[in-house]
Amino acid sequence: MKNRMTRYPSACFLLAFFFISCTGKPDSGEDPEVTSRGSIEVTAELQEIPGEFIDRSDYDYAFVMKYKVLEVHRGQLADSEYIYVGHYNPQKPRDAVSDARVDDVGGRLKKFNSGDIHRMALEMPIDDHFMGGIVNRYFDEYSGPVYWAVWTNPVSR
Amino acid sequence: MQSRILLALAHTAIFFFLIVPASAQSDQADESLKLREEVQNRGWLAYSSRSENGTWDIFLSRPDGSQRQNITNSADYEEAAPRFSPAGDKLMYRRLPKGTTINHDQWGFQGELATCNPDGSDPQILGGEGDYPWAVWSADAKKIACLTKKGIQIIDLQSREIEKQIPRNGIYQQLAWSPDEKWFCGTANYKNEYWTVVRMNIETSEINALRSYQNCTPDWYPDSNHVILSSRPAGQAGAKGYGYTQLWEVDGEGKQHKLLYGEDGLHIYGGAVSPDGAYVIFTRCPEDGGGAEKSGGTLCIIRMKDTPMVGGESPDLRQLHPDAKSGPMIEIDKGWEPHWTSAEIKAAP
Repeated sequence: MKNRMTRYPSACFLLAFFFISCTGKPDSGEDPEVTSRGSIEVTAELQEIPGEFIDRSDYDYAFVMKYKVLEVHRGQLADSEYIYVGHYNPQKPRDAVSDARVDDVGGRLKKFNSGDIHRMALEMPIDDHFMGGIVNRYFDEYSGPVYWAVWTNPVSR
Repeated sequence: MQSRILLALAHTAIFFFLIVPASAQSDQADESLKLREEVQNRGWLAYSSRSENGTWDIFLSRPDGSQRQNITNSADYEEAAPRFSPAGDKLMYRRLPKGTTINHDQWGFQGELATCNPDGSDPQILGGEGDYPWAVWSADAKKIACLTKKGIQIIDLQSREIEKQIPRNGIYQQLAWSPDEKWFCGTANYKNEYWTVVRMNIETSEINALRSYQNCTPDWYPDSNHVILSSRPAGQAGAKGYGYTQLWEVDGEGKQHKLLYGEDGLHIYGGAVSPDGAYVIFTRCPEDGGGAEKSGGTLCIIRMKDTPMVGGESPDLRQLHPDAKSGPMIEIDKGWEPHWTSAEIKAAP
């Protein structure tokens, strides 16, 4: 009797492909950019996106989001559990976000979704690194430092 | 008898529908002519405008638009955003590489800072690309203040040394220095609102909000206690709810707000007050931002005493400001970022 694996090779291949696609390959988000840019590097979970992004192609801005820190790879954080991070023009994929105004930001993240995990290279405070409109909907509840996202990669576990 | 009555009614109708409007138009033209004559010899305007070679150049004209002349006239550069020194004896502007698109929000970071005599002679380039961002004159024109990421720097023009640096406290563009040198104002992130125009006490670096929500391009009145700015108030139905940008006056405490000029269908930018405080110059443009990316807007002048003023039909705006006047207003030229000096300039006739 022939082994089922050998009898239905294409079906097994499809099953394996489907399994890998569904589970996804773990990705720590590490790459030469995120490990070398900025003075701080963290892996953190995006806790929430506070409201809608502003969809105005002719006005640039940074949008502050709240993260729960999972791991600090480089540098030191002012607050070790939660951080507030400003992302430049968050409606754009990170690999298309740099422009004449801000030419040193990027990453592999395509879209921000709450609950996702990101590996980020950061600077602090945001005002030393970005000069423009900042949408900070946490202003009334948080007065600590806001970090500036230099590089943002997705993490899958 | 009946036919006579009908004839009289017809004449009355003709009078009200044809002659009265024509007469009103004629009155408006007369008023505009009066305004043009009134401002003619009240100093000079400087503004950026597209020249025949297609690049932006700096132009001078009398406030009535006469004696217009191109004082930079360079086909190899884009020159824009002129500012007279308070005494009117110097001019500064940004010089950008030919073909650069001027960004209406970032122009202060773009190109090189240039200074010259008010007639355009003796041009000097200070620093390189992007240096001295958002530079503005001190009262005696011996210093400039610049808005950098690290703070607001006051720089001695002769030594080029930074005399003082203070925190910018959220101000991110469009710096202006009050004539009495006690205050800065600029567009800032203030609390949870960006696009807030704030005033900063230079001595203490403390700021107070002048006007929140969609405001920019502030400039000082001669009294150092009022600011002119562009504002796009919320709740406008026009432009699919986006609204139109208007010109407003706000006092230094941010408590008294007054519409200066608005017109549904057009965005009003580049507001500046004449040195005697009696007139207002600005640009009207269909595009938001004042047209920096294209060819600017229409430069216009109105009297301060005729404000608040609403232009065009603007039914929504007239409903909000029922006491607003409709004119007179004069159009000067096509341009961007005008500025006004009372000084006499020995310009070529």
